[in-house]
Amino acid sequence: MNLLRNSRKVLAHPFEFFYDIQVEGQAKWRHAIILLVLMAIVHLLKISWTGYTFEGRASYQISVVFETFWLIVPWVTWCISNWAVSAILDGEGKFKDIVVSSAYAMIPYIVLSLPLALFSQILTFDEKYTYFTILYAIYLWVAFLFLMKVKVLHDFQFGKMLWITLLTLLGMLIIWFVGFLIFGLVNQVIDFVIGIMKEIQFRL
Amino acid sequence: MRRSISHWILCFMCLVLIFIIPTSSVYARSPYEGYIWNSRHDAPSINGYLYKDSIDGLNLSSGPFKTPEDIYINESDHIYIADSGNNRIVLLDNQHELIQIYGDAEGPGKLNGPKGIYVKDDGTLFVADTQNSRIAIFDKDGAFKSEILTPSSPLLGANFIFSPSKLIVDKRDYLIVANDGTSSGLLQIDPNGKFKGYFGANMIEFSWARLFVRLFATDEQRAQLATVRPQEFSNLYQDEEGFIWTSTLGAEYNQIKRLSAVGVDTYNPDWTKKYNRKDYGDTFTIGTFDIASFVDLTVDKKGVVTGLDISTGKAFQYDKVRSLLFVFGGLGDQDGLFKTPIAIDQTSDGSLFVLDKTRGRIDRFRTTPFGDLVHHASELFVDGRYAEAKEPWTRVLELNSNYDLAYGAIGKALEKEERWKEAMAFHKKSRVQVNYSTALREYRKQWLRENFGSVVAGIIIVYLLFKFGFPLLRKRLNRKSSSAAMPEFGMKGGFSE
Repeated sequence: MNLLRNSRKVLAHPFEFFYDIQVEGQAKWRHAIILLVLMAIVHLLKISWTGYTFEGRASYQISVVFETFWLIVPWVTWCISNWAVSAILDGEGKFKDIVVSSAYAMIPYIVLSLPLALFSQILTFDEKYTYFTILYAIYLWVAFLFLMKVKVLHDFQFGKMLWITLLTLLGMLIIWFVGFLIFGLVNQVIDFVIGIMKEIQFRL
Repeated sequence: MRRSISHWILCFMCLVLIFIIPTSSVYARSPYEGYIWNSRHDAPSINGYLYKDSIDGLNLSSGPFKTPEDIYINESDHIYIADSGNNRIVLLDNQHELIQIYGDAEGPGKLNGPKGIYVKDDGTLFVADTQNSRIAIFDKDGAFKSEILTPSSPLLGANFIFSPSKLIVDKRDYLIVANDGTSSGLLQIDPNGKFKGYFGANMIEFSWARLFVRLFATDEQRAQLATVRPQEFSNLYQDEEGFIWTSTLGAEYNQIKRLSAVGVDTYNPDWTKKYNRKDYGDTFTIGTFDIASFVDLTVDKKGVVTGLDISTGKAFQYDKVRSLLFVFGGLGDQDGLFKTPIAIDQTSDGSLFVLDKTRGRIDRFRTTPFGDLVHHASELFVDGRYAEAKEPWTRVLELNSNYDLAYGAIGKALEKEERWKEAMAFHKKSRVQVNYSTALREYRKQWLRENFGSVVAGIIIVYLLFKFGFPLLRKRLNRKSSSAAMPEFGMKGGFSE
């Protein structure tokens, strides 16, 4: 029930919520994990529930792995990058607080996506502006919560908040770049090891 | 190792059987598989055209063709062949027997590498005599009549080289000529040989990258840059109504066009809008050769256009509203495939003739029963007779459920019958979101009309719930939660409301 009450608080009083989450014992890993799972489920359901007018893909064209991956991975890299950047530039947030409040910042998406998806079933192209306005409003809300999270958690001024956000995004790109690099190198190493094994097998 | 006698007898009998059993059950399988491009993928389909036979000129007294460049089939199905390698035009009748040869006699009418031909209804033959830089005109009986030499006009510029490759003669007796190396459009030449202006040039798309390079390049660098020119027309065709159809080489989209009297494309809608652009031919986006190179096209009386793509060696057939109907042909050695398909035309019975330049022969393709069925259905459909078209389209789907065009067409027919819900299902199958949306709008209206009472009742109930139900619930919940005495945390800053 704590989760529900917190969620309502994020939607109604975001500043208050981000202050309170920093109190010892308020942020719980459990909540972050539940919200992440919910986020993935909602994202997939949203794709399949959206009316054909606005979602042209057939179900066989949607990959659960792909969709979940590109939802979770940016989120995780955001958390890591935000924590790393703010730790260097005297932010006050703890890693646990950042992760949990980032999960809570996705609440508008979790709560509103499915109603919008169901609503889109009865919308036609003539009302596409209605649909997209609501959709972008949800995204804006989430973005706003993320910004406020950075501001309140690390106790930054407005200008510094924007600067840190920019650096965080840059950090995300670097993390991805390094990730791809490591992926490629590990592939090479595995190939190399397999090659040597084969060679040894061949010689023996 | 000894083998029993019975073993040898068995072997012998098997051998005998192999040679005795008649090979009557052997039939020619088409060397190409039928397929269709649906909304995002290509899907297996049934062939609409199959190879029938070839004309290679070997059994004609005129001898074999040599690198022929063009064919023209007139209303009585006589076939004119621009036999470029032999510098002549060969005329065959509808039984493919030789009637006449043009332009092989010494004299002013001697042709040199003719690349294009056009025949007027009265039998006058116009030849784009490419190597001679002229247009030669022959009368019906094969006598050389006149010629049109390099037109002179300040519009053409000083470096203009007259090298006509394809031509038609329009209803005003003006010649419309596709000139090799001219990208400003088709040449309009009046019957007296005077240049009357360009016609229907292709456009160049605006490009930020080009503008950027132009802005920062020095004069020398700018001189090094290749000038961007509009793409040249590769061929042209005049349909029954006098519209001129063109095919363009090197274009990524809208390679097939129907030009109006003022040279505006009326086949494709406004090309400046990205969603209106159509990639004709195979739309593979991977690989080097991702655009089709249409070298010729032909249009039948119903407006069905067939374009010939030299890079894949396939012919693509589209209906009046740009939907792909059939693909046939390909590159290869078997009958039905081509080496260098260069020209296409059709007879009045719907057979398509494809000219293969390297092989020097003409391949004839006949429609299959499935092809005839689709043509019939498509003809009704593009005329807007959706209800009549429903039955043939249903049969199309019975034969080939991959034919997405049919789902959309049946959806339209159902719309006419005001069966919106079923129409929605069919439009969803045809994967056209706009049509689905239209059907949905009508279905919504219909549903609201039918369920007006319950809708009003529902609204009233929801209103009452919000007005009285929820406040009551909240009051009760609040009472409970306050009695549970939740721990409260203080504020840090002045952000509270």
